[in-house]
Amino acid sequence: MTSTFTTESPIGATPSELIDHLTQWVVEVRHRGSTGTGILWGKSGMVLTNAHCVRDGEDPQIVTSLGTRRGRLLAVAGDDDLAAISVPGLAGPSLNIRDANALKTGELLFAYGHPLGVPNALSMGVLHAVVRHRNGEAKFVVADVRLAPGNSGGPLVDAKGQLVGINHMVANGLGVAIPATTVARFVDQVRAARAA
Amino acid sequence: MASNTAPLSLVDLSSQLSSTVERASQYVVAIRARRRIPSSGIIWRDGLIVSASHTVRRDGRVPVTLASGDSVEATVIARDPETDLVVLRADGLPAPASRAESNESSVGSLALAVGRPGRATTASFGIVSAVIDGWRSHQGRRIDGVLRLDLSVYDGFSGGPLVSASGGVIGLNNSALAGGAAAALPTAVIDSVVDDLLSRGHVSRPYLGVAVHPVTLASSTVSQLQLDRADGLVVLSVADDTPAERAGILVGDVLLEITGTPLTKPANLYDALLATKAGEPVSIRLVRGDKTATLAVTPIDRNSGGE
Repeated sequence: MTSTFTTESPIGATPSELIDHLTQWVVEVRHRGSTGTGILWGKSGMVLTNAHCVRDGEDPQIVTSLGTRRGRLLAVAGDDDLAAISVPGLAGPSLNIRDANALKTGELLFAYGHPLGVPNALSMGVLHAVVRHRNGEAKFVVADVRLAPGNSGGPLVDAKGQLVGINHMVANGLGVAIPATTVARFVDQVRAARAA
Repeated sequence: MASNTAPLSLVDLSSQLSSTVERASQYVVAIRARRRIPSSGIIWRDGLIVSASHTVRRDGRVPVTLASGDSVEATVIARDPETDLVVLRADGLPAPASRAESNESSVGSLALAVGRPGRATTASFGIVSAVIDGWRSHQGRRIDGVLRLDLSVYDGFSGGPLVSASGGVIGLNNSALAGGAAAALPTAVIDSVVDDLLSRGHVSRPYLGVAVHPVTLASSTVSQLQLDRADGLVVLSVADDTPAERAGILVGDVLLEITGTPLTKPANLYDALLATKAGEPVSIRLVRGDKTATLAVTPIDRNSGGE
């Protein structure tokens, strides 16, 4: 049976529909024996993850349900802890981005990834706070979600499966994610650099 | 689960939780009465805020930030060390918190902890993992219905509300209640403590002035005195100038009953005293040597002495 989940008609989304949706675009990033999580960025042929998951610039391996492929490290934004990996031939559904400014404290958020090497684990929690830059722009999305090493680079999504951020670290027990809008801007920069 | 139950809608649940936090944020305040980050407080009644006493490090007037962002001066009016509750009074407060139905704080109930450790409210989410009856404060008071929580109580959350998924307050979060683990004081206890603090300025604590230990009498004594049980509390010490001393209780006496309630462990004595009123005599039945005796003792309110 194919997944009936679409981000356009999400009302009534159940946990299993959410997982069906996530498995279509969440991948494993293996690098030097450690496991992180990555996001297949639509049809761009790119996987987005944390820079610290691919630290020393070596090309990582991308594991999906279809098998393992070698990716090529395209770009790293160390300040935002983001990395883009080129994986030709891999494509996922187009992603809906949720702006951190539209998030409400207490709404459900989900992290999906491979904590401590456990594959495809879903964690649930709520939005704790949005940390902002001085100019009011979202800097971090802070969630009351239990994360562990291996969740890094994976998605934080809302109840509709929309991308809220990329999980970045744990601080005081809280999950800290890079906002999805920051990730999208990084993707645009990488694309522009490739086109140039 | 019944097959005709609609599947759980995450979207519905999510919007319910976020609107619960939105409503709760109206009555959650930030109390700036310690270094580092502020603590949280709940607007509990008109003009009254409750919080966790250990987080309000100063007496007198303390600044409080409201949901609107406005700051008001609140005055600490009373504290109860046993439940770690503090009551503050302030003018210009928004409407008080709404209470949850009593069936919304059972084991497994969904719950949100809401805090205001600064300007904005923050939240964490989980379930009530246990409801503890007969929890004892460090001074021995029995408190029923303390909530142990499977959720994270973050810095600045103590003193803030635990709310049910439908939005009513089920308790006041206080990580100090259970040695740093997440726990909340139930609303019924808050109400009774607030009532006591407002009417008397303190929570009544009837006091005798004895230290006791459980003891089992020799079977020959039990049969000789025709007692119906062998358990009692042996008096280890009698403090000077206390109701026990005035009534003539001596070290070595074995207390059997207080106003008809059997005494087999020290908690029985404490609970029985709490059910009495300070200043009204109670009768204590005891064994002294090879005789039984009944003494009238008048407990005093230990907390009224400006301790």
